[in-house]
Amino acid sequence: MSNYPEIMILDGAMGTELQAAGLPLGGVPEVWNIEHPDKVTAIQRRYIEAGSQVVYANTFGANRLKMAKTGYPLHALIVAAIGNARAAVVEAGKPETKVALDIGPIGRLIAPLGDLSFEEAYDIFAEEVRAAKGADMIVIETMSDLYEAKAAVLAAKENSDLPVFLTMSFEENGRTFTGTDIDSMALTFSDMGIDGIGVNCSLGPAELLPMVKRLYTATKLPIVVKPNAGLPDPATNTYNVSAEEFAGIMRQMLPYGVRVVGGCCGTSPEYIRELTRVVREWEAARDRVGESDASFWPEDYRELTEFRNTRPTGIASANKAVWFSEPRCIGERINPTGKKRFKEALQNGDMDYILGQAISQVEAGAEILDVNVGLPGIDETEMMVRVIRELQAVVDVPLQIDSNKPEVLEAALRIYNGKPLVNSVNGEEKSLTSILPLVKKYGAAVVGLTLDEAGIGKTAEERFAVAEKIVSRAESVGIRRENLQIDCLTLTASAEQAAVAETLRAVAMVHNNLHTGAVLGVSNVSFGLPNRDLVNATFLTMALQNGLTLPIMNPNSASMMGALRAYRLLMNIDKNSLAYMEAYKDYVAPTVVAPAGVAVGGTSAGAGVSAPAGDPLPAEIAAKLGDGAAALYNAVVRGLTAQGADITKSLLGTMDSMDIVNGVLIPALDTVGAGFESGRLFLPQLILSASVVQGAFSEIKEHMRASGAESVSKGTIVLATVKGDIHDIGKNIVKVLLENYGFTVVDLGRDVEISAVVKAAKETGTPLVGLSALMTTTLPSMKDTIAALRAEGLPCKVVVGGAVLTPEYAAEIGADYYGRDAKATVDIAKEVFGV
Amino acid sequence: MVELKPIRMDEAARYLGYGGQMPDETILSLMRECEGPLMEACRPAYSVGIFDTEFCGEEEVRLAECALTLTGKDIVKHLAGCAKVALVAATLGSGVDTLLRRLQRTEMAKALLTDAMAGAAIEQICDDVQAELQGKMPLYRQTWRFSPGYGDLPLSLQEELLAAVEAGKRIGLATTQGHMLTPMKSVTAIIGLQDMTKELRKVQTEDGDSLSAPVGACAAGACAGCAYHESCLSRQDKTENETSVANLDNGGQA
Repeated sequence: MSNYPEIMILDGAMGTELQAAGLPLGGVPEVWNIEHPDKVTAIQRRYIEAGSQVVYANTFGANRLKMAKTGYPLHALIVAAIGNARAAVVEAGKPETKVALDIGPIGRLIAPLGDLSFEEAYDIFAEEVRAAKGADMIVIETMSDLYEAKAAVLAAKENSDLPVFLTMSFEENGRTFTGTDIDSMALTFSDMGIDGIGVNCSLGPAELLPMVKRLYTATKLPIVVKPNAGLPDPATNTYNVSAEEFAGIMRQMLPYGVRVVGGCCGTSPEYIRELTRVVREWEAARDRVGESDASFWPEDYRELTEFRNTRPTGIASANKAVWFSEPRCIGERINPTGKKRFKEALQNGDMDYILGQAISQVEAGAEILDVNVGLPGIDETEMMVRVIRELQAVVDVPLQIDSNKPEVLEAALRIYNGKPLVNSVNGEEKSLTSILPLVKKYGAAVVGLTLDEAGIGKTAEERFAVAEKIVSRAESVGIRRENLQIDCLTLTASAEQAAVAETLRAVAMVHNNLHTGAVLGVSNVSFGLPNRDLVNATFLTMALQNGLTLPIMNPNSASMMGALRAYRLLMNIDKNSLAYMEAYKDYVAPTVVAPAGVAVGGTSAGAGVSAPAGDPLPAEIAAKLGDGAAALYNAVVRGLTAQGADITKSLLGTMDSMDIVNGVLIPALDTVGAGFESGRLFLPQLILSASVVQGAFSEIKEHMRASGAESVSKGTIVLATVKGDIHDIGKNIVKVLLENYGFTVVDLGRDVEISAVVKAAKETGTPLVGLSALMTTTLPSMKDTIAALRAEGLPCKVVVGGAVLTPEYAAEIGADYYGRDAKATVDIAKEVFGV
Repeated sequence: MVELKPIRMDEAARYLGYGGQMPDETILSLMRECEGPLMEACRPAYSVGIFDTEFCGEEEVRLAECALTLTGKDIVKHLAGCAKVALVAATLGSGVDTLLRRLQRTEMAKALLTDAMAGAAIEQICDDVQAELQGKMPLYRQTWRFSPGYGDLPLSLQEELLAAVEAGKRIGLATTQGHMLTPMKSVTAIIGLQDMTKELRKVQTEDGDSLSAPVGACAAGACAGCAYHESCLSRQDKTENETSVANLDNGGQA
């Protein structure tokens, strides 16, 4: 009797076999479930006879989108497919063979990669799962988008009780087409309650071997491997690995946690027969020698196993895994607490500001971002979902979802593309019972705050006791201990000086005795003190030394990031000081003053080279404006992005905000605009100048905010790229330029529902709506949007633009204006608003 | 093997509306700054399928052992005299979309430049795919690249074209509800393959078949037969006053 469960043998290729039976390239295989059931059954029967213990029903593409054109109801195709597989089981006389519902990619990508919503993807998969009555298990395979895989896993788990396997397809660089790596997949799904995880398709077994090893170190789940028969010849579409070679390489994978094997494209019953033989031989040999016989197991097996068993877990975005194996910086800046500017951004839905905060923290070295959007007067659930969607579209670091409201956390956990860290649960009964089940269901990691109904314990022992309670309650609902990060709570030194040492002691106790990770909000310690950076950095170093793994801190603080980097260097975590050296390669000692002045763009215009950006200010105007203003003017016309904000800042000391806008920025922009209109300057130059003005504007806004002045807007314009169109760079260019001229832009984004445009126009009462479309095929959608605005009787004018539009067509579809380009659109806005 | 080469800045400048001119040094150096991140974000991949053609009347071309049927007068004209057809799907991958998304939030000028440079990159990949095909099938002359949505060839054939070359599985290409390609910097094309010996005889009898231009037709200025003759931004035979510098939305699907 073996100590190991028997390795499960799956089937081989269905598509390849169907093509051999006459299915044309690009044909719909699922239709054969109804039109040629005998041929489908015959293929599956041959697999069972060859050794397959599981056959996949012919349902890989059976989703409502792909099946829409077939003329058959989805339900009927799936029922027939499972019936065919069942018939094969009966015909083969092996009733113990399992039939799996096979779920492949939808064929459309989820936003932001494509236009499908996560919820719609979930719905599509749920429909497949519910139709699959009579299946014994569910396999989700050939996924390249982690987000789509998550939708499928949730659909499978929430609509059935069947076992679920997930396999994704990786390219030779170790990533899927959408950039997911093995670690991110493993972290995201290992705690979501699936029964097997692995790789299939795209490559042959030899190419997948290193990925299987990597997966072995990243998950404790049974590993599933279903490779192609090697790589296809692009000309003949045949695969280059024989059945014997295939089985031989598969054998090499078996030590590394592989419990389920089969074949994908290009494999046939012959491959499965050979694979079965080799697997059973290997199992017998393994059972004879056992785990202790070093000669049986591959050279790297022990090392990898040791690494796997001692490695803590981590969290992940779709493209980046962050393991809790060493201290990591959690950026704290996406949080309105005590930040006036951030509160305003939340109230106005100013995503650019919030994303700017995210990007600058990542650039400064944050490896995780905390996301807190709780603010009275805004719908926290809606805002959290919106901010997470925006964040995961532009930054790749994993997120820490920061809220104490279960409904906010659940909404965020559901749509998060990866495995997040939940911040937080605490020792209160109400918190434990509402939040831990969510963490378990979505397979997340969680921060446990060491406070409960009695408040924050004064001593380390009291806080440790709460930590123990949280750990035991988490484990009782099935959350693995390594997914817990205990927060022993930082108190303010200026108020409770003695408490700082208690916090540090509690961190050490948690680290040494509970063996969970430890998290702390570091910056709080220095509240109310001068030179806070010094106190923060010192406290950070002390806490790290006591076992802190995840400091929540400001990555833009050079001294705190410095302390963290130096700690990693000194503790031999940053091997060969590589990260440290990289971070400080341009370091200049603070006593040396960097020379002022910035190089000015080239001015020579050789033959065939376009003119440099706009002319500098004529001398007489320069004299009138003064040196500072003239410098700003020149920065705008020459597109000197590095200078605009700085000059504006110093100018604000001597010049009125509105004078800067109306006397310098707008005239400068007009000069560039005129050059652009005459064909002397080009779009990149216009946009570069616009960027300088953007930088200047943010300084002016900051200044006005500080001086309590109301910011002045010339009016609100609603912009959208119409339904069906996902190309929105043109619309975004128009937005930048309109904002430059002092308009407030409500940007609805791309692929915008007609009703959303109408709603925004109504709510803002805007006199001008701008619509953009790139493709001829989306022009009808533009027409329908205009019609809907008119049907509502809204008084707004409509300006349209886009590469394929003409003035004639714009008039034909009922637009008031045709925006030839971004500059023309600004002129139209000025006309409409009378400014 | 097709791989990404340094971006052709003159091509990118054309997409930016510069016509034949080169951008000034400020813009050029910004473009050079954009090149590294763009190259890093690119994962070029392609899939090709070769099929025999079967002409059915004036508005239909069937492909042997393939579920895709091409419809419309324009594609029939395009493939006139072609015994075979190559279906090509190529992409720079989703990393470029992500890069462009990020740049549009932070540095619009770079977003604009990177977008145009990515357009130049995917065209280069397509040129190289055609050159590779030429090497494998030296006896065939290739037409220029015709894509779904040109002329009267329906854009809605996009899904079937992708399926015919297994582009979803092989290179991760998908479509939106409106049949646009995702990742966005992607191309599908239908290239006619003319048996050169037969074609030579044809040229002798029918003087100058302008509908079929050789590899690199765009660069060679063979614009006259193109269905996009009127609206193409990059047209070579454009007169000066026709030059529309920049449309509101010129962030094009390459």
